[in-house]
Amino acid sequence: MFETLLDDVAQKNTFRHIHPGTKILLGLGSLLICLVSPAPVVPLVSGMILTIVLLVPARISPVVYGELLIAPAVFTAFSIVVLLFMLGSGTVIWQFSPASWINLTITDGAVRQSTLVLCRVFGCTTSLFFIALTTPMTDLFNLMKRCRIPLELIDLMMIMYRYIFIIYKQAHEIWEAQVMRLGYSRKKEGIHSLSMLFGMLFISSWTAGEDMIHAMDARCYNGIFPSLDQAEPIRIRSLLPVILYLTFLGGVLLVTIKGVTMPL
Amino acid sequence: MSIILEARDIRYRYPRGPEAISGISFHIRRGEKIALVGPNGAGKSTLLQMFNGMIRPDSGMILFDNKPILYDTPSLRHIRQRVGYVLQNADRQIIAPTVWQDVAFGPANLGYDEQTIRNAVADALRHVGLEGFDRRPPHHLSGGEKKRVAIAGVLAMDPDVLVFDEPTSDLDPSGSEDIMELLDELNHEGKTVIISTHDVELAYPWADRAILILDGRILEEDKPEVAFGNIEHVRMAHLSVPTLLELSMELGQRGYDQPDRKPHSVLDMVEIIENLLHGSSWNHKPGTITVCNVDEEQDTSISSYVTSRENMAVGTMGTRAKQRALQEQLTVEFTYGVIDKCILRALRGQDSLILTTGSMAGRVVTRVDAYGKESGNIIRVHPFGSSGQPSSTCNVNGKTE
Repeated sequence: MFETLLDDVAQKNTFRHIHPGTKILLGLGSLLICLVSPAPVVPLVSGMILTIVLLVPARISPVVYGELLIAPAVFTAFSIVVLLFMLGSGTVIWQFSPASWINLTITDGAVRQSTLVLCRVFGCTTSLFFIALTTPMTDLFNLMKRCRIPLELIDLMMIMYRYIFIIYKQAHEIWEAQVMRLGYSRKKEGIHSLSMLFGMLFISSWTAGEDMIHAMDARCYNGIFPSLDQAEPIRIRSLLPVILYLTFLGGVLLVTIKGVTMPL
Repeated sequence: MSIILEARDIRYRYPRGPEAISGISFHIRRGEKIALVGPNGAGKSTLLQMFNGMIRPDSGMILFDNKPILYDTPSLRHIRQRVGYVLQNADRQIIAPTVWQDVAFGPANLGYDEQTIRNAVADALRHVGLEGFDRRPPHHLSGGEKKRVAIAGVLAMDPDVLVFDEPTSDLDPSGSEDIMELLDELNHEGKTVIISTHDVELAYPWADRAILILDGRILEEDKPEVAFGNIEHVRMAHLSVPTLLELSMELGQRGYDQPDRKPHSVLDMVEIIENLLHGSSWNHKPGTITVCNVDEEQDTSISSYVTSRENMAVGTMGTRAKQRALQEQLTVEFTYGVIDKCILRALRGQDSLILTTGSMAGRVVTRVDAYGKESGNIIRVHPFGSSGQPSSTCNVNGKTE
């Protein structure tokens, strides 16, 4: 039942054993470059290259990747339509006024800016997906520890992470039990079923919490939450391509900054 | 054997609840296998949680190593390190996001240094057969694997006593057998093992002593054949008489001679029936049992050995032996009660091969020897690699019998 979760993909791709720092460098680096780029070509190229990298060498299922892209794609599509009509400078290329008080216009400036936003969203989303799909949370915890994030916070995050799956599984089981007995069949019934699900979930989370304290006490809990800091070493084999790629992207960025007159 | 755990007239009442434990006294010796058996709500779990100080009795006292358990923090830490407790629901016991972190939880909190923690974790994981699972998150594991992680988490603290609350309740039959086999292995290494269960078929052949509990009281405390043989008590405790014991009692009631030692296994039962039919269980030229210590035979191919012999059955004892069998893609016929099943095969004139690891190799010889003395049937046990040579002495793992 966890097959569709991002966590599962992150645990099973072929980049799993690359040092998390290398992957974060690639993700955050390209994210930054995409954000500062004034021309759409940089984020477009970055997004396409990262997509290919995710699909081919990292062997992430195109179906999973496509499904993941749907949500941001729909959201962006709506925003772009609004942006097209809202932004305005330059020559009018399309006009629609069915009544005297409605006046919808699209200008070439609006098209330019919308394209830029679209490409930036694409580039940034793939950068973030790259991190989410190749780096499991468990590796990120270690990295956070190295970045001197307070241990208490990381311990809490680790416990939360562990319990997401337990509670998710429990919710799924309760939901199945309800559906089998025709829960959610009508609208009013659905609200009733959902409230019952949350009530049950609260009770079981409460007992799970008590059991957790028992389990920790039974193993002499003294405030220490061990961390597994035995990630793969940083390897030139994976770090070098990342640096080359970011340099290439930065180069393209410089060229476009010189070539493009700032649109904003 | 010295007494390791003792309860003296303990009583306990849950806040605003009925009395869960109403006056229980008993003792457990070092190295014993104890099964606490009783219906749901009899007070088994409550009693178990007293062994490591999770619950403090209202009156009476628990003694560990002949000293009363104290309930201040340093003493509790000490007792919890010596008495490992495995919860019924492994999901609730595993608290860390990866297997390694969870197993390291105990050692880290005991204040061990980094290298000791690493060694303890590696040892514990190897013990339960989960090498290479270090970085796996628990929600990617099967029920049996989770149980093993939970056990490893306790083993990493190297306790003297292991307490299991319903160790097999969430597992499929083969998973249950694996876990019981693991408990045997741990017991063989000197750990005292206490389990609570209502599975009499599982407890009967396994336990040295069974304690029947009902309504917070001890109903019966004796060897399993006596404890489960008291039909009145078994019925009162909402349990059932184990099939083998029932069969033996039924045969006895029909006037067939029954030996004093009740049957604990199919082997024992076959022996009894054959004796009734033929006066002895000696029918064929017996088969042989070959013992292979997988730790010592790293390089030899076991699969070619098996395929080169006709009708050779393979049994595995211990997790590393199972892994080896998996590696060599052997068809394993026995994974539980292996020695008895191989003796049964030998009595039918068939040969078998037992894969096992260091400490358990000697056990095969001891068991077969004991069987030989009892029944007069001599079955040959060969060490791996020298089988075929006529030798009646067995030299397995440097131990001459």
